[in-house]
Order: sequence, then C-alpha cells, then structure tokens
Amino acid sequence: MLLCRIGRRGGWGEVERGVPHHAREYGRRMIYQQLINGLMLGASYALIAIGYTLIFGVLNLLYFAHGEVFMVGAFAGLYLVIYGGANIYIAMLGAMVICALLGVLAVYVSVRPIPKDRPLAPLISTIGLTIVLQNLAVYILGGQQVAFPETITQSLYTIGPVTISSVQIFVLGVAVTLMVLLWLIIERTKVGRAIRTVAENHETAALLGVDVNRVVLLTFMIGSGIAGVAGVLDGIKNSGISPFMGLGAGIKGLIVMLLGGLGNVLGAMVAGLLLGLIEILSAAYIGTTERDFFSFAILILILLYRPTGLFGTRTTE
Amino acid sequence: MFDWMDGYTRSLLVFAGINVIAAYSFYVPYKTGQVSLGQAGFMAVGAYSSAILTQKFGVPFGGALASGGLIAAVMGVAVGFPALRIKGVYLLLLTLGFSEMISVIALSWEYIGGAQGFRNISFNPWTLEYVAGIIVVLLVLFSRLERSSLGRAMDSVHQDETAAEVMGIDVVRIKLLSFGLGAAIAGLAGGLYAHHATYMDSTTFNVMLSVEILVFVVVGGGSTFWGPLFGAAVLNAIPEILRALRDWLELVPVEWTDFYPMNRAYDFLHDFLDFENAKRLIAYGVILIVMMIVRPDGLLTRDGLLRLRLPRWKTRYA
Repeated sequence: MLLCRIGRRGGWGEVERGVPHHAREYGRRMIYQQLINGLMLGASYALIAIGYTLIFGVLNLLYFAHGEVFMVGAFAGLYLVIYGGANIYIAMLGAMVICALLGVLAVYVSVRPIPKDRPLAPLISTIGLTIVLQNLAVYILGGQQVAFPETITQSLYTIGPVTISSVQIFVLGVAVTLMVLLWLIIERTKVGRAIRTVAENHETAALLGVDVNRVVLLTFMIGSGIAGVAGVLDGIKNSGISPFMGLGAGIKGLIVMLLGGLGNVLGAMVAGLLLGLIEILSAAYIGTTERDFFSFAILILILLYRPTGLFGTRTTE
Repeated sequence: MFDWMDGYTRSLLVFAGINVIAAYSFYVPYKTGQVSLGQAGFMAVGAYSSAILTQKFGVPFGGALASGGLIAAVMGVAVGFPALRIKGVYLLLLTLGFSEMISVIALSWEYIGGAQGFRNISFNPWTLEYVAGIIVVLLVLFSRLERSSLGRAMDSVHQDETAAEVMGIDVVRIKLLSFGLGAAIAGLAGGLYAHHATYMDSTTFNVMLSVEILVFVVVGGGSTFWGPLFGAAVLNAIPEILRALRDWLELVPVEWTDFYPMNRAYDFLHDFLDFENAKRLIAYGVILIVMMIVRPDGLLTRDGLLRLRLPRWKTRYA
C-alpha cells in the first residue's frame, strides 16, 4: 500500500482505506476531490443504512447482523468473480440473491422463533447471528484481508478541477440507481405500500389484508440484498475485503440510520451521504484517526438532542 | 494462597475471574433495566488510568486499581446522566458510541501508546488473589442488595419506571447510582486485566468484548445475582473442558485408530475439540440464539432458584 504523509501530525502512515491515493496527493488543495470521496463513502453508508431503517421501520427491531450481511455480500461477489468467472454485474446480482436468502435465514432463525413479550430478546438473538456470521467467515476464509480482483478497467477522467476514476463513476452510478429503484418500489408499487402499512401498524395492516409475516420477510430480503450489493461495491472501491469489515460498516450504518430518523428511507439516503462527507472532510483536514471520533460524537449528539433524527421519523417509541 | 496451582491454571482462572467481574459490571445497570454495550469502554477507562498511574506516576498497584475504578465510576455517571433521557435501543447505541470513542482516543493519544499500544505495564503477581477477593465481595454485596430496599427499588425501576416514580422512588438517583457502580466494577476488571496481560491497545477493549460480557449475563440469567457468575463461569469453562477431552483423546493408542473409518473419526473429533477463538465465538453465537428461543430469561432465574430452596426459607425471603 502506498505510503505518504497524512494527518495533522504529519507522521508517516498507511493511506486511509477507501480514499484513492491520487486524491490523497492533491487532497489539501482540492476540496472538490474530497467531496467526491465523501460521496463515495456516503453512498455505501447509505446503502447499508437503508436496510437497517427498512427493517427497523417494519419490525421496530435493531437488526444487528446487517453489517455481517454486507460482509457476506462482499465475499459472495469476490468468489463469484474469482471462481465463477462472472462479470461484475452477474457478481452483484449473485451477491444480492445470496444476501436476500441470508435475510430469509435471519428471519427464520433469529426473529420468528423469539418470544414477542421480551423487548430485548430479538436484539440479542441478532447479536448472536452477528457473532456466528463473522466468525464463520474468519473460520472458513481466514482472518486476513483478501484482494478484490480488478473487474473494471481503471481510467481517470478530468472534469474541470475534479479527477474521477471509472471505478468511482461505476460505484456511484450503481448506488444511485439502486436508491432510486428502491425509492420507486417503496413509493409507487403495491409491495412498497404494504411495507409502509406494516411499518405504520402491524394489526391495522393485518386487518387491511396485508400478510404481515410475508412483508417482514420481503423487507429483510430487500434490505439484505441491497447490503449485499453495497458489499460488492465496497470490495471494488477498496480493492480488498476482510471478514471484519462488517462490524465497522454495521456501526456506521446504525449511525446513519439514527441521523436520518429511524424508519425513514429517504432520510437514511441523505444522512449516509452527509456522514460520508463529514468523515472524509474531517479525515482530510483534522486527522485520519480522529474521523471515527467525529462519527461517534455525531451519534451521541443525535441521540441526546434529536433522537428522531435530522429528518424526523415515522415510527416513534 | 493459590501458589499450588500451575501457571496455566492460574492464568486461566484470572481471565475467567475478570470476565465474571465484567459480567457483574453489566448486571448492575441491567438490574434497573439499562442495557449497556459500553462496558468494554469503562474497562478501558479503568485499565488505562490505572496503568498510567502505576507506570508514569509510580503509584502502588492497589491504589492505582482503586483509582482506576473511581475514574471509571465518574465516567459512568457522566455517561449515565445524559443516558437518563433515553432507553432501550437508544441507550444501547449511546453506550456503544461512548465505547468506540474511548477506543479512538486510545488509538490517537500518543501518551498512552497510540497505535503501538500501551507496553510494559508492571505485572502484578497477586492478580488471582485480587480477582477472587473482589468476586467474593461482589457476591456478598449483591446477596445483601437482593433483599435491601435499594435492590428492590432497582427491580421496580426495571419493571415499571413510572410506577416506581409514583411509589416515591428516586428513579434518577437509582439509575445513576447503578450506572456508576457498574462502570466502577468494569474499571476494576480493566485495571486487573491491564496488570496481568501487561500490554493493551485500542482494540483490546472492543465492541465484541462488550457483546461477550452481555452474553455472559444473558446466558447465566439477569434476574438473579448468581446469573453473571454462572454464565461467565460456564462459558469460560466449556473451551477448557473440550481441551481436556482432546488431551485425553490423544492418550488413545495409535494402533486403535490406525485403520480407515476410525482414523477419520479420530481426526474429526480431534479437530472438533480444538476450540480456538473463531470456533469458540461461533459457539457463543449459536448458544445466544438458542438461549433466546428456549430460555430467554437465562439459565438461572430467581423463580428457579427459589424452587431449589427449603420451604422455610421461601416464606422468609421470597
């Protein structure tokens, strides 16, 4: 990995993952470049947070294992590319399907059989699922970081003051397409209407003829599928994945979900981009180790002063 | 006191004991219904502050340990105060965020080692005695607490905050007290850990440790003070029991297993009993899920324990 001077103290260190090195080189002078990087990071946060917030909206459950679904998606994509010889679109589709199935498994293992009268029980069982998935990955794949093969030819485009690579364009494009698609599904289709109804109230939805269990299952599938694609995108972007990537990504997704308002899909999208920008800018102008500090400070401030998130929330406690 | 044990057993008991203490640090706020995923953060506060005291200021171990616990308690009240306004999932996220902030500070502050980690902390040869003593004190404390007015106040806050408030219980005081006390116990556990392992870095006290602490209490049972001890002891003993079984397996003469179906079976068993970290954690996860389905209140419950008692005790203490 490329070495260059980073951080306020000017020490020598490894370049932050997720920030392309050419951006590092001009980083101080080019705020536009940082904005692009922030959008890139934010797009993957947003994709993870969408799943969280969908599931929270429907089930009022903090689905802890979501970050691990993201990790599984990344590895599914990797192995489809390496061993299946798939191109990147097939790999993303495959990761989506595998993660959707994982979502179904999660419902049957850690949501349905849990007694409903204890508020903490489903949370703890999804924490159990998190531990299982993460360590299963460590056990099967080993704890090291794995390089993601180059599936898109790297080329740089210069638009005005900004240099953007083909990989960045691809990742941003896929992320934005997914978000728009999801928005259309939620707002314009019958399935989306069912999801919104269940999020409003389970009993009323059931009375209106919505099959609540099926909607919950579907929500898990959609959320997990999107997280799977996000995992593949993350692999392409950072050119490396590890079994431990899920926990950090999951926690960032939680922060974004809170920032956007629990159960608020549009809020999660905007908040994801916002957090990505904040993190990249604080990493560039304050210090790379301090950047996580800022995200957690935001988490705590939001919890204390605006628990409904920046954009309000549909479901309140 | 424990000199007759070999070094391996002692070290094993120290880590198991620290886990028990950490489990109690989760149990105290849990008794008032506050679920914290930040106990590892409080452990880090205790560990780092006591290690700074012994290494940079030459304070003797006992004093440094107590001060570490005290600093963690102050931190606990500082976190618990804003936490009064929120509960459930929000509180969980708040404590998680706090713990992560502590680990970022540990990573970026060069004075306490930064990314290289805190090295060469003085080794305390009496850790096992300290651990045993603290556990005994905690057990006595909690057995008294169980039937004291404070303990009952905590239980009532857990069951229904509004009702407790109406009954004249100072909910704010009770919640802050339990959060601070939990943090202090976590700080002690951290200080003991630091002076036994003699090295730590920003990843030593991570989210997974907080989750493990939660698992101990959930598996053991959170409704009785025996639960954390039981849960932590059982979950720490399982890998060791399997390891012992593997050692016995190796005593089997080679010629017994040197032909086709037996050698495969032997290898499978041998691998299965090799309980290294990833497998242990997988087992934790599975146990957690199964527990939530089968016994969501944990292995030991207050009712279950009462059933074990003699009828005469029941009328006195129930």
